[in-house]
Amino acid sequence: MSIVALSELLGASVRDASGTVRGRVREVAIVPEDHLTRIAYLIVRTAEVERILPIGAVKSCGATVRADTDAVTWDRYTPSDGVLLLKRDLLDQQIIDVHGRKVVRVNDVEIDSTPVNSHLLLNVLAVDVGARGAVRRLARGVVPAFTLRALLERIPPRVIPWHFVDLLETDPARRVKLKIAYEGLSKMHPADIADIVEHLAPAEREAVFETIDEEVAAEALEELDPRVQVSVVESLDSDRAADIVQEMDPDAAADLLGDLTEDRSGEILREMQPEERREVTQLLEFGQHTAAGRMTTEFVALSETAVVDDAIETLRSFEGGYEALATIYLVGEGKLTGAVPLVKIATSSPAVQLSTLSEPYITCAPDTPEDEVAALFDKYNLITLAVVDEPVRLTGIITADDVIAMLRHD
Amino acid sequence: MLFRKGWKARVGLMLAVIGPGFITANVDNDAGGIFTYSLAGAQFGYSLLWTMIPITIALVVVQEMASRMGAVTGKGLSDLIREEFGFRVTFLLMVALVVTNFGNVVAEFAGVASSLELFGISRYIVVPLAAAAVWLLVVHGTYSSVEKIFLAASAFYVCYIIAGLLAHPDWKAAAVATVSRPSVIGIQNYGYLFMVIGLVGTTIAPWMQFYLQASIVEKGITARQYRTSRWDVILGCLFTDIVAWFIIVACAATLYATGRADIKDAADAAQALRPLAGEYAYLLFAAGLFNASLFAASILPISTSYVVCEGLGFESGLDKKFHEAPVFYWLYTLLIVAGAGVLLVPRFPLVHVMVLSQVVNGAVLPFVLIFMLLLTNDRELMGDHVNSRAFNIVAWVTVVVMIVLTLALVVTQVGGGT
Repeated sequence: MSIVALSELLGASVRDASGTVRGRVREVAIVPEDHLTRIAYLIVRTAEVERILPIGAVKSCGATVRADTDAVTWDRYTPSDGVLLLKRDLLDQQIIDVHGRKVVRVNDVEIDSTPVNSHLLLNVLAVDVGARGAVRRLARGVVPAFTLRALLERIPPRVIPWHFVDLLETDPARRVKLKIAYEGLSKMHPADIADIVEHLAPAEREAVFETIDEEVAAEALEELDPRVQVSVVESLDSDRAADIVQEMDPDAAADLLGDLTEDRSGEILREMQPEERREVTQLLEFGQHTAAGRMTTEFVALSETAVVDDAIETLRSFEGGYEALATIYLVGEGKLTGAVPLVKIATSSPAVQLSTLSEPYITCAPDTPEDEVAALFDKYNLITLAVVDEPVRLTGIITADDVIAMLRHD
Repeated sequence: MLFRKGWKARVGLMLAVIGPGFITANVDNDAGGIFTYSLAGAQFGYSLLWTMIPITIALVVVQEMASRMGAVTGKGLSDLIREEFGFRVTFLLMVALVVTNFGNVVAEFAGVASSLELFGISRYIVVPLAAAAVWLLVVHGTYSSVEKIFLAASAFYVCYIIAGLLAHPDWKAAAVATVSRPSVIGIQNYGYLFMVIGLVGTTIAPWMQFYLQASIVEKGITARQYRTSRWDVILGCLFTDIVAWFIIVACAATLYATGRADIKDAADAAQALRPLAGEYAYLLFAAGLFNASLFAASILPISTSYVVCEGLGFESGLDKKFHEAPVFYWLYTLLIVAGAGVLLVPRFPLVHVMVLSQVVNGAVLPFVLIFMLLLTNDRELMGDHVNSRAFNIVAWVTVVVMIVLTLALVVTQVGGGT
């Protein structure tokens, strides 16, 4: 087994079975539908046309590529969508380093070459994003090969193994053919996905948000800068946008929709599930910089007469953000009557009535300005704050993470 | 009511996209630019005013391509060059860009120093303070706060318009000279031709294209908003060249009229204006120079660092820590420290640095312009936003003329500098 760099392979002269030079390597191709890492063929620029040299016919590769078939048997190359061309699609392009959680630019590609029965198996091993690939490409053809080799030995490699690489492809059809699913990206923390997405061009952002799971997309979207949020949602079709927006926290969704044009937010609202749509429209009616504009309507409120066991049952089926569960609220005849910290529920026996666990709680009116909300959190060391309208009806809650976001964005 | 809402929305949209084009065009009137315009006015009076219209067109054409590319692709120019033309080309271009931009940074700090020396403040105080101010502004400012400061700095160029008014020029002669054809006799004069080349050469610099495209991307302008954004570019170029026009006119009405053509730098021009156009014109000229130089000195180092790091794949961005993006911070800091520092070195061969920087500038510009034209004609990249046929004709003519003139400038500079 040895390692060949893509930049060494490109431009290498190709000799066929007769030993004559037939042309030079122009591209190196993978067909992901057949195999995700294996090189399927080389594209050789011969005197007349471009031909496909199947990898099964390659005996050795390096500065010279030797084949054991005659050039006349090599098919003519015709461009195809389902082929990953390493020079065009990878070299000098940006990729997502899933392990390092960032966007990087490819300086070179390392290909593993293993001889099997007098033929070669070539597999993409890693992409080089460090100085080694850069120096190799700069000095190639300028510095003698052996000097260059010695020089490169001294440069510590910075490579990303191929299975940690997520390619950026903006054409949806091609994404399917090349089997690009952003699996690695989807497994990252939404905040990391957001960081990565902010480094991408709009079309690439769109590609990511079209492909990844709606729930992950929703969480990542919440973490984005409001300006970028808008541009992402503008680029998606309203169907897909609605799928993502309805997975968001209603308060975040309302903020986002409030930033869009009325036509656009109307389109998205129409595509949303009725329940989510109701919650979000309600929030949209309040001013963005008030308690109501910041609150979420996904929280747990139970009857005064409920016991701990009921609370735990309700928690099991709760679908909103966990941050809203720090406090369980109690209501009687439509009015807020108590608040029980989650810790108390976790440490009490199942039959205890919730109202006996209730602690003093703080409330604010829907039109309370943001800065007063922040002041309340500071003064009373709150984790959640209940928002109530006139007859003490609980309409929503504000959680501490909303306040942090609110303070950070001022 | 309806009308008012529509009007307001339109102004709102305009204000939302205005910035990158306006700022970039204005930075173009930096210390070197102001000196060239002053000299053109002082040596040739109104007779070079005809260059302003073609220069404006060339500026608009080139800047429009950069901003369109930024809006459509969402990528910087160095990224696109890297992706389409490969690593080696990008590397050489970036090295050249650092060299020429370093020369520009030195020129800007020299402008800062000489403008305040008019008020008797030593450069040993001014230059370190200016360098520190630039460093702090960029490291601690956010994009939108920095943009506001830059827009304010752009507005400050009005100084030169007022100074032009104070110089009491012959408006009719100036207006006629602006729209009339150049005289054949003038063109045969070597000094005159040299000045034309100089005027064109200061107008379109490689770094501007990189900076403009990057700011468009950073501002998040997309193909959808591009129509409005185009006005930002056009207005910026117009304003810039109106300022240039007034500088030429002010110097023509005073320095040329009294035969004082021997100015050595932009501060010298301000000084020479004092007895001729009065105290206010002098103060405005000096303040304008200070503003322009500090403004350009704030933009050049940071934009160079971004462009180079993005093109070569180093981590970049002010949201990173020093150890996360060492190349970026080192390059940025070095450009400022060395660019300002050389001015404090006694007997530093400043002129040679400037000539070298101009030569590299001239050598890089053709490549950048040709790359831009190739990129804006790439349908895979630009989709429906590729250059139209008519635009291509204008653009290629502009580019060829620019290249010929810039190369001529380099040749004369090398000839004159040694």
